[in-house]
Amino acid sequence: MMFVLRMAARETRSSWRRLLFFFVCIAVGVAAIVALRSVIQSVRQVIGGEARSLIAADVLIATNRDWTPNARATIDRRLAEFGAYARTEAIETPTMVRPADPSRPVAKMAELRAVQSAFPLYGAVELREGQQYSHALIANHGALVRPELLTALNVKAGEQIAIGTTTFTIRGVIAKEPGRGVGDFSLGPRVIIDYADLESTGLLSFGSRARRVMSLKVPDDRIEPLVRTLRVDFKDEFINTRSYRSNEDQVGRDFDRAENYLSLVGLIIVILGGIAVSSVTRVFILQKMRSIAVLKCVGARSAQIISVYILQVVALGLAGSLLGVAMARGAIAAIPIALGSSSSILSQAKYGVTWSAALQGIGIGVLVSLLFSVVPLLHVRLIRPSLLLRDEKSKRRVDWTTIAVTVAVAVALVALTAWQAASVRIGLVVCGGFAGLAIVLVLAGRGLVAAVSPLANARSFPLRHAVLHLSRPGNQTRVVLLAVGLGAFFIVGVRSLQASLLDEFSIQTAADSPDMFLLDIQRAQESGVRAFLSDPAHGAGEFQLIPVLRARVVGVSGRETNLATVEDVRQRGVSIGREFTLTYRDHLESNERIVEGAFWRGPSSEPEVSVEKMIADRAKLHVGDTMRFDILGRIVSPRITSIRDVAWRESRNGGFVFLFRPGVLEQAPQTFVAPLKGPSGVEARGRFQHDLVERFPNVSVIDFREILDTLRDVMSKVTLAITVVGGLVLFSGALILIGAVAMTKFQRVYEAAVFKTLGANTRAIARMLLYEYGVLGSLAGVIGSAGAVVLTWGVSRYALDIPWRVFPAEHVVGVLLTSLLVALIGVFSSLDVLRNKPLATLRAE
Amino acid sequence: MIQLREVSKTVTSGTEPLTILHPLTLDIPRGQFVAIVGPSGSGKSTLLGLIAGLDAPTSGRVLIDGVDITALGEDALAKLRGEKIGFVFQFFHLIPSLTAYENVAVPMEIAGAQNVRTRAAALLEEVGLTGRAHHYPSQLSGGEQQRVALARALANDPPLVLADEPTGNLDTTNGRHIMDLLRSIHVSRRTTVVLVTHDAELASLADARLTLRDGRVVDNTLVLRQAQDEGEQEPLVLSRSKREFGS
Repeated sequence: MMFVLRMAARETRSSWRRLLFFFVCIAVGVAAIVALRSVIQSVRQVIGGEARSLIAADVLIATNRDWTPNARATIDRRLAEFGAYARTEAIETPTMVRPADPSRPVAKMAELRAVQSAFPLYGAVELREGQQYSHALIANHGALVRPELLTALNVKAGEQIAIGTTTFTIRGVIAKEPGRGVGDFSLGPRVIIDYADLESTGLLSFGSRARRVMSLKVPDDRIEPLVRTLRVDFKDEFINTRSYRSNEDQVGRDFDRAENYLSLVGLIIVILGGIAVSSVTRVFILQKMRSIAVLKCVGARSAQIISVYILQVVALGLAGSLLGVAMARGAIAAIPIALGSSSSILSQAKYGVTWSAALQGIGIGVLVSLLFSVVPLLHVRLIRPSLLLRDEKSKRRVDWTTIAVTVAVAVALVALTAWQAASVRIGLVVCGGFAGLAIVLVLAGRGLVAAVSPLANARSFPLRHAVLHLSRPGNQTRVVLLAVGLGAFFIVGVRSLQASLLDEFSIQTAADSPDMFLLDIQRAQESGVRAFLSDPAHGAGEFQLIPVLRARVVGVSGRETNLATVEDVRQRGVSIGREFTLTYRDHLESNERIVEGAFWRGPSSEPEVSVEKMIADRAKLHVGDTMRFDILGRIVSPRITSIRDVAWRESRNGGFVFLFRPGVLEQAPQTFVAPLKGPSGVEARGRFQHDLVERFPNVSVIDFREILDTLRDVMSKVTLAITVVGGLVLFSGALILIGAVAMTKFQRVYEAAVFKTLGANTRAIARMLLYEYGVLGSLAGVIGSAGAVVLTWGVSRYALDIPWRVFPAEHVVGVLLTSLLVALIGVFSSLDVLRNKPLATLRAE
Repeated sequence: MIQLREVSKTVTSGTEPLTILHPLTLDIPRGQFVAIVGPSGSGKSTLLGLIAGLDAPTSGRVLIDGVDITALGEDALAKLRGEKIGFVFQFFHLIPSLTAYENVAVPMEIAGAQNVRTRAAALLEEVGLTGRAHHYPSQLSGGEQQRVALARALANDPPLVLADEPTGNLDTTNGRHIMDLLRSIHVSRRTTVVLVTHDAELASLADARLTLRDGRVVDNTLVLRQAQDEGEQEPLVLSRSKREFGS
């Protein structure tokens, strides 16, 4: 044992520089796992600790419609039955807010929350500058606002703002409020007013998007029974009931998924590092062959020698993992800086490396180091001490031990992946993917080497020898192609996927597209708004007023799908169980085309509907099927007469899943929305919004240009996350490249020295190296790039459900860069050979 | 000490078999200093490797102290080498990542010996390298490296030392120094030494000499029982003097 320990220490002492690379590969992967898991766990802790204040209640009942008398009666009965002992109601709606001072012509979208005196049941409203919250602050037309609104409207606390038709006084600035969900997207900053004052604003008109919320305190043991009972009571209504626990469970499940997905990404990065480790170990053993033969000559058994190197691997894996934890710590420290002064609950978490994530990361780092080293280390058994007397190639025979250990390693990797992903299926898929990819790379490599073999007759000496080297005995071509090809595969694949995702997320405004959207235009206001928009003085460009109605699907009688009740629709109707916004018109928009059936001409009293293709496919709806819609209590049964393909990315005039034929819905209660081209210039746009809202206080204006900034900010964080993860994978792929190329150095060193003694000058040898590595790199780049095309197709189609796009530039650049990188690494790693006298190299041999 | 019975070695060169050693039978008693001589390619190093158990014969048996080493597995052979055989190579074959001291200590550590530090220091002193104990092989001259290799070969006080062209890579002065050390070890420890050399002058320092050519014995001061193709058998005679049969 002492021999093993001492030798392991001595070997590490002498070769730590060479093994530094090994160390870094593991560190990067472990850092990814530890950082990702720690962040999720930190956020989860906050949410777990504030579960009740997340919804500011034990039980929450919410609806987008008015409380009907029946609904109220049912709720009152159930609350009495289940012993609810506190209750408060609130109404939330997005709306336009403007300074009361007419000389300031600006208006902004805000998220209005009208609360009663018992709010909040849990948590606390925190105000800036030490001000204490009390309901008295908002009574009699007081308002509490977020600091962003002050900036947007250029007002201060104490000044007045207009909400709808009423003026409110800003009496405090909100720092933190309970009942704001994690990652909720908001159209504007929060404004809190008294529930009793909302009516006076005139905002609760027909079709308004106000959300009515009832928050309850219920004895702990009655919470879930109450929720279950209310869900049954309201199964046919658009009334949603949940408890802080179901919220917690749902959030918990979401976090589980996020944690497992991100850990899987981290594990893939570690595995990429492990592949690099395997290359390094292989080379390391090849370089140590004589030393190992000497040890066997002086009495060491294979098991003892293997133990020495395994101990070294474990020590390096552990050191690399600890470095990875330190790197994760550094990365996590940057999160609060990145979040800044966000009011989101994410900024309330105390970010740091959690013990659980650190231990897991370290365990995985050491395990992966071992798993990827053990097969190359088995080669030690085959090194014979007679090597010291004679360079004799041992006969190749089937090595059952290596086969058995390889199988065991594969099983262990599957188990490890399954553990990280919390799914055996995913574990098998990921490992199967790696294995399949490796096989394809090896076969493709063989084919390509055969394809370039005619170049062995080239007139150029360096090119000829470069190609000959690819297929000579003892060549490393297959292994290098596999390792470099894998690196190129991941690099090009991730870059292409990244480009697809960023392209999908990109929000662009064409010069002539609508850039403003008006909502909640009442029927009685239609002509007035039309006149306002048509008046050149207001500076609006092209516009249209689109009627919209809210409805839900309550049945389908069709060729493939038959749903008799709303219950059936909710349970079995894929993608159609929610509320929809309908419209009716007699023409197609520019982003729509009919793919099945025929579009109507003119109105008809017989109801007809055109269904969007994706929904039709998912819900298995066909031309000729009949659907039943509940539109504000009235059942309409249109026949499906066409299926439409909608280019959602170009839906500037609104995209609708269900489009009705004119002639049926004109008399139904409806509101209007109006996409329009707003005035140019910030001031003109501000004045336009202000004047519009002053005349029509209930109308909301969404300015795409402002929303774009908000959306871009959100998307930039998403793309940053994608880019960071993609970058880590790129880095790991690059490490594989470097390791794979460097591992051929020791062969090149000797050959180059011999060529020099035979008369080749430095330039000729450098060109030989360049060509050989360049050819290897090009082959690997082509294989990896081709594989990346398949990867992006599979992931786009089956995982992300986004259109598959090929980015030729990514692939061409990928091949060129791989070739260049491999060539440069190959030459640079052989610089000492090119510079030194050959004798030193030959003597060392 | 060493018994070879009908030992031969054939390898495959390309696709053709190549007989490096034709079947031979040999006894080397304990305490002898035997030189194996012959031109390059005569099979000297191969014979030495077979005796050391570094290589396996194509046919025949090799016995060391009565133990048939051709029947042993690799691990058992390694143990045997660690306990009974010290080997000195032409190209030293020191482990480059270990110091001189560590190279000498390794066989003792493998064998789990006590007082490793003291014994290694003593061995280095015996070969005159006390002041170079913490130098790496790359920092030592060829002669110094070979002396370290010799000290390593003696680490576990083996009864048998095998030396394959130990002076082949050294200048005359260093070569003589190594031979003097080998002789001194043979005399002081009564170690059996089998030396391979192509240098007749060095071979003359041995007690007995065996001459190989093209894998066959052509001259010997130890009479061999060599299985000729015709099946002739000759009696075994042990020689005590190198002068008796001339050089």
